[in-house]
Amino acid sequence: MHWTDSIIESLRAHDIWLISYVPDAVGWQVLSKLEKDDSFKTVPAAREEEAVAIVAGAYAAGKRGAVFVQSSGFGNTVNSLAQLAIAHRIPVPMFIGMRGGLGEFNPVQVPSAQPIPAILDALQIQHYAPEREEDVTKLVDGSIELALASRMPVAVLLYSGLVGAKRASS
Amino acid sequence: MLRRDGIKALLQRIDHEPIIANLGSATFDLYEEQDRDANFYTWGAMGMASSIGLGVALAAPDRKVFVTDGDGSLLMNLGSLGTIARQAPANLVHIVWDNHQWAETGGQPTHTSTGTDLAAIATGAGIPHVAAVSTLEGFEEALDRAISEDGPWCIVVDVEEAGHGPRPSVHVEENLLRFRRTFPSA
Repeated sequence: MHWTDSIIESLRAHDIWLISYVPDAVGWQVLSKLEKDDSFKTVPAAREEEAVAIVAGAYAAGKRGAVFVQSSGFGNTVNSLAQLAIAHRIPVPMFIGMRGGLGEFNPVQVPSAQPIPAILDALQIQHYAPEREEDVTKLVDGSIELALASRMPVAVLLYSGLVGAKRASS
Repeated sequence: MLRRDGIKALLQRIDHEPIIANLGSATFDLYEEQDRDANFYTWGAMGMASSIGLGVALAAPDRKVFVTDGDGSLLMNLGSLGTIARQAPANLVHIVWDNHQWAETGGQPTHTSTGTDLAAIATGAGIPHVAAVSTLEGFEEALDRAISEDGPWCIVVDVEEAGHGPRPSVHVEENLLRFRRTFPSA
């Protein structure tokens, strides 16, 4: 199964309904399919911290959600992650399209992406990075289950090795 | 008018409908007026009350959902107005207590003290029903419409700052859990 379909089936299997996002080229490979799927409610946000708070609100009202952002906007989520999701114990599966690695052409993507695992560690948010298509279902299922059971955010980092590098010309 | 009188007017008109309160005085005054399971008190994540309210409103479309925001917080998350307008939840009522100051940090004047017009920004963001009021009668009239007619609504309320109530004694985790239990799908 293509990695995007594996993520979508994991979301569906765990009754994840509200998907809030700020789009990027990686996440859009999944989001463009979710936008056409009536079993998901997609909510584009203007800024990444909103997306976390919208999902937190849906959970507070009994519905499950997930967040898609790019690594460049991850920093904007920390306000909502620390003072809302973690403090109130709200599960937020996060999918982060990772720039700044192999094949990167944009120099400013590098210093915003590289510290993300360390920031997640400092926030005590567990994170996983599937490297091969056949690992996606196991890691995404596990991450969503972990988020729901621990009532904490959990991050899935989508690196170029899995999803392909964005090219300067693309 | 006073924020506290606005909160009383809101509580008189609703039953079990959820209220998501901005950090600081909006939370403290709501807690003092009536601590209820359907109150979601925020202590931080400044600016996010309206985004939390949007998530609640989308997840519970059969209930009116009230956000009681502040000017300093909304100024931090103006994009939320566009996000709300795009989703256009008919059940969302976004009330902004505009005291023109960052009251929790010493009363420093916010941008609304020098002319920034949050109601005009809400209109510009595409919120279809916007009211700007400065008296209790005006607020009650706007609130009655917002309760009986489809939204989303944004009601910007010019309030005089007159101090606030005590900090809620309910723990943040317990607050989330008891709020959640007011929804049948949870």
